[in-house]
Amino acid sequence: MLIQLNQQQAKLKEELHEYFKGLITPELRTELNNTEFFEGGGPEFKKAMRTMGADGWIGLSWKKELGGKELSPMEQYIFVETVMRTGFPFPFLTTESVGPMIAEYGSDWAKEEIATKILDGELIFGIGYSEPNSGTDLASLQTKAIKQSDGYLINGQKMWTSLANFSDYIWLAARTDFEVKNHKGISMFIVPTDDPGFSLSPINTLGDVRTNATFYENIKVPDTHLVGEQNQGWSLITSQLNLERLALVNHGPVEELYKNVLQLAEKTKINNDQSLIDLSWVKQNFAQVYSGIEALKLICWKQTWIMESGQLNMAEASVAKVYGSEFFIEAYRLLMEIIGEISLLKNDSELNVLNARLERMYRTASILTFGGGTNEVQRDIIAMAGLFMPRTR
Amino acid sequence: MDFSELGHHNEIKDSLNKILGKECSPEKLKEFDVEFKHNETLISLLAINGYLGLGIHEQYGGSGEDLYELGILFECLGFHAAPLSLTGCLIDVAQTIQKFSQADNHKSILSSIIKGDIYTSAILEPFNQDTENPITRAEINGDKLIINGTKYLSELASIAKKILVSVTSNEGVLLVLVDSSQVKLTQLTSTANSPVFKVEINDVTIDRSSIIHAQGKGLEALRYLIQINMVMRSYLALGVTEKMTSLIATYTSERKQFGRVIGTFQAVSHRAADCFIELECLRLVNQQACINLNTNLDCENDALIAKIWAGNTCHKISYSAQHLHGGAGVDKDYVLWRYCLLAKECELINGSASQNIEKLGINITSNQ
Repeated sequence: MLIQLNQQQAKLKEELHEYFKGLITPELRTELNNTEFFEGGGPEFKKAMRTMGADGWIGLSWKKELGGKELSPMEQYIFVETVMRTGFPFPFLTTESVGPMIAEYGSDWAKEEIATKILDGELIFGIGYSEPNSGTDLASLQTKAIKQSDGYLINGQKMWTSLANFSDYIWLAARTDFEVKNHKGISMFIVPTDDPGFSLSPINTLGDVRTNATFYENIKVPDTHLVGEQNQGWSLITSQLNLERLALVNHGPVEELYKNVLQLAEKTKINNDQSLIDLSWVKQNFAQVYSGIEALKLICWKQTWIMESGQLNMAEASVAKVYGSEFFIEAYRLLMEIIGEISLLKNDSELNVLNARLERMYRTASILTFGGGTNEVQRDIIAMAGLFMPRTR
Repeated sequence: MDFSELGHHNEIKDSLNKILGKECSPEKLKEFDVEFKHNETLISLLAINGYLGLGIHEQYGGSGEDLYELGILFECLGFHAAPLSLTGCLIDVAQTIQKFSQADNHKSILSSIIKGDIYTSAILEPFNQDTENPITRAEINGDKLIINGTKYLSELASIAKKILVSVTSNEGVLLVLVDSSQVKLTQLTSTANSPVFKVEINDVTIDRSSIIHAQGKGLEALRYLIQINMVMRSYLALGVTEKMTSLIATYTSERKQFGRVIGTFQAVSHRAADCFIELECLRLVNQQACINLNTNLDCENDALIAKIWAGNTCHKISYSAQHLHGGAGVDKDYVLWRYCLLAKECELINGSASQNIEKLGINITSNQ
């Protein structure tokens, strides 16, 4: 038993920290503070992505023979942690989930045209999984891709297609067989967003995170746009779920926030003799958050170690997802209480503190309890795989 | 990073579970629902098999100074609700003497403990939650100390060869050994029926040589004692809550209502899943605290976090377990009730969650 980063990992963390200090220019920071661009897509963001591509910081999880760095899960966790601490909206799903799948299972065209450009930081994908009637029960999706002599004809609608407004392609799950069980008839496609049959309408959310409904009307793609075998798409969707879920609950950003609020509370005078940090209830709120972060860090490290040692432990991955997502909500609340009413001010307002990060985060916090595999399903998994209880009905 | 249990850790756990499983069957536990809850046969068995030497250096006959092994022992004692109260003996006395004493006559206590002799501590004081500042006083008079004060919740004091007492003096905090014959003992009846005593110390005179640590090291030694006690009590709590969670899983997978096992109701399985999550958090913060305490004598924040999680987890899992068992949970013919009582002890002794949250808050904001 050893619960700490090794020398090499600590060095990587240091290296990445320095790298991002240089990457995040004041111009990029300004762009990211703009609601329209805080998820990426702006000119400074694109520039930074190309720089990262050129510097070899894209494709960390990819196998070496596919042009990647083949970092271990722990090193990938450190990367995610460091990026998220900076607030840079690194497109993990494109570069670390879709990318390596295309590089491994894509056609020759996809490998050369798409995978290479993802590594160069040139391409962004939107993820086309959910539909109006298929969310948690994703395998029930109805968007269809009909095989024709020279390709596939795609028709359907997707929901919550984030980044679609500035992405080049959609990583689309479509039904190619209606006769078999739900999850056995799904295939994965690369769909260009400049096709005339593609359209979208924005969905504005509580957290001011823009997402989209996307529409696919008689879009024809050649066979080269199919990734993996026909009807084998489900395994591609599920293959990296554990890694993706873990990235969602990385302990880096909340620890960064905790530190920032701590510094703020120390600076903030409440009278001639005392700072905010001197109040006993403020100290207690900090302690609640801190003891929660420590548990989250350990859960994430353990889950990463489990992946690194090649074990499969479904219950542990779900523990991380449920605990992390619900803890974030609690932590934001406790930290907002410390700052008080001023935490209500938005980032374009005078007097706002910490770029109004908390004002935005409390509004986006609920996304994680239902997104990325809703917590009810995660608890079902924990009861079954962790406690060996019968399947719930 | 490595979260794997070493081979010999697993062996210790398996073999302890075998011994304790046999000695702590529901029928045998019933025999110890008596005034003095203490299984002497079990103590001898643990001694013969070398388990009282876990965490103690080889030179005294122990198995090495790995606190992780001591954690396993307390986890197992909790899991089986063993009728043994050994935190005073194996943690407070043995570990503090091992780390802070330089005198041979004190160190010989370690060999004696390994053989199964009982020693204990008297640290806690009624209405004084500030354990680092004992109200009990020692007047130093040349080579003699005269001690006055009242301690309580001292485990097994009536059969202890010596009692380790924390006192305040004009040389600061001291940890001293007194004979149980020198003090007035009154057994207290506590919630889990643990054999605990009030210790009244009235003008007890001892030699300076009874101080177990070097001059000026008293506070450091007491802080270490409090921290390792918090961590090991958290391991006890881990065992107790692990057992309760496994009882939940078993019971709700068998009990049928409305024609189906109740574990198939999501409301039931999700409450059980929440226990699993709490348990995992407790296990991890315990492991971190234990590992850090192995190499560092002062890890107060890690110890506090472990005890905070222990307090909250004991509370939540105990009531979840009672609720999900329905009437069976509170029936004294079933096993759960003992764990619920132990959980309350683990939760409150040596710092409650709220008290420790306050301490942790002070610590993490003081270096700013």
